[in-house]
Amino acid sequence: MTDRAAGAADAENHVGRFLTGLGRGVAGALFLALPMLMTMEMWYLGFYITRERLLLLLVVNIPLLILLSHRIGFEETFTWRESVRDATIAYGIGILTSLLVLAALGLLRGDMPASELLGKVALQSVPASIGAMLGRSQLGRGMSEDDDGTETPYHSELLLMATGALFVSLNIAPTEETMVLAYKMTAWHALAVIVLSILVMHGFVYAVSFIGGHELQPETPWWHAFVRFTLPGYVVALAVSVFTLWVFESFGNSSAVEMLHSVIVLGFPASLGASAARLIL
Amino acid sequence: MTRFEKGRHHERHDPHWVEWLTGILSAILVIGMLGWIGWETVTREATPPDLAVRVLTTERTTAGYRVAFDIYNTATTTAAAVTVVGRLAEGGRVIEENHVIFDYVAAESKSAGALLFENDPAGRALDIRPAGYTEP
Repeated sequence: MTDRAAGAADAENHVGRFLTGLGRGVAGALFLALPMLMTMEMWYLGFYITRERLLLLLVVNIPLLILLSHRIGFEETFTWRESVRDATIAYGIGILTSLLVLAALGLLRGDMPASELLGKVALQSVPASIGAMLGRSQLGRGMSEDDDGTETPYHSELLLMATGALFVSLNIAPTEETMVLAYKMTAWHALAVIVLSILVMHGFVYAVSFIGGHELQPETPWWHAFVRFTLPGYVVALAVSVFTLWVFESFGNSSAVEMLHSVIVLGFPASLGASAARLIL
Repeated sequence: MTRFEKGRHHERHDPHWVEWLTGILSAILVIGMLGWIGWETVTREATPPDLAVRVLTTERTTAGYRVAFDIYNTATTTAAAVTVVGRLAEGGRVIEENHVIFDYVAAESKSAGALLFENDPAGRALDIRPAGYTEP
């Protein structure tokens, strides 16, 4: 009898924690995706973005969400099966939150073609779902002592950086400013931005003592981490920048040099996103 | 591999060779990119926008005619707010004039656009030319 009562209380507690997780997910989606939900270029992209590229973005988001969920999901996820379930929930929250906010802002109207409505919501659901997933880590308990001893495999570390870079890129890539900056800058400016990005990236993770920062063992020289983590991280950030600029059709018919400039411009915030992901997650 | 302990991540001292391989490949990519940009700083001189229009096709639309064209910028500077004017003349007299504005024509790049006319350009003198630009 007492066993059953305890079981029921446990189940209730479980549901309660799950609902809190959902609430944090919605809060995270709102908090982190609102800048994009209120960006004009993102609304327009909803109808002119090529459907193949939109589909690719939506599909690429899935493994990133699963990985994030494995690290920080709504609840402690121990198996990949649970991670997939939580990633699905986060995507669902992302879609619903985007739909709700876009509708409330008067951006979805009944007289719009269905493909425009779908495109607008689908595009926004990507950052919103990442936001929903991060909601738990940022607004919930975050890293705690019981995470002690967890080891991050190298490929997961790179994928986490890609997720951070993608999230920040999605904020900035659709804006006209990315292209204007690329048009304005000379090759000297581009060089300066590359050096700045790499320095800031390395400094964020190793030099400045944030909680979650990275340390080297005393016998390891500094350039070990620079070659093994910072440079690959920068390449990942640049690759994510190429991907988002391509998805948002920002390249147009520009020459290779102009494209490279815009990738370097977007690579700056993307590399910051990548190093922030290493600290937070 | 990275280990999380007491609120800090600790990088392993004895990494797998894949980490070094990735690191070295990344270093080559970054150095290659720096080399490319560095080469640009030496060889690329800033020239003011040099714009030219090439007319592609003339097609009938529901309400008139569409003349599609490409605009090329062969210089190393991007032009903004590029205005392209199209004039349709018959017997030395302009019978129709339209214009279109490109937000940007990037350096050493092309952009595509179209002008719409009410009258059939066939058999008439059609002149499409860039009329001005601003710095981005």
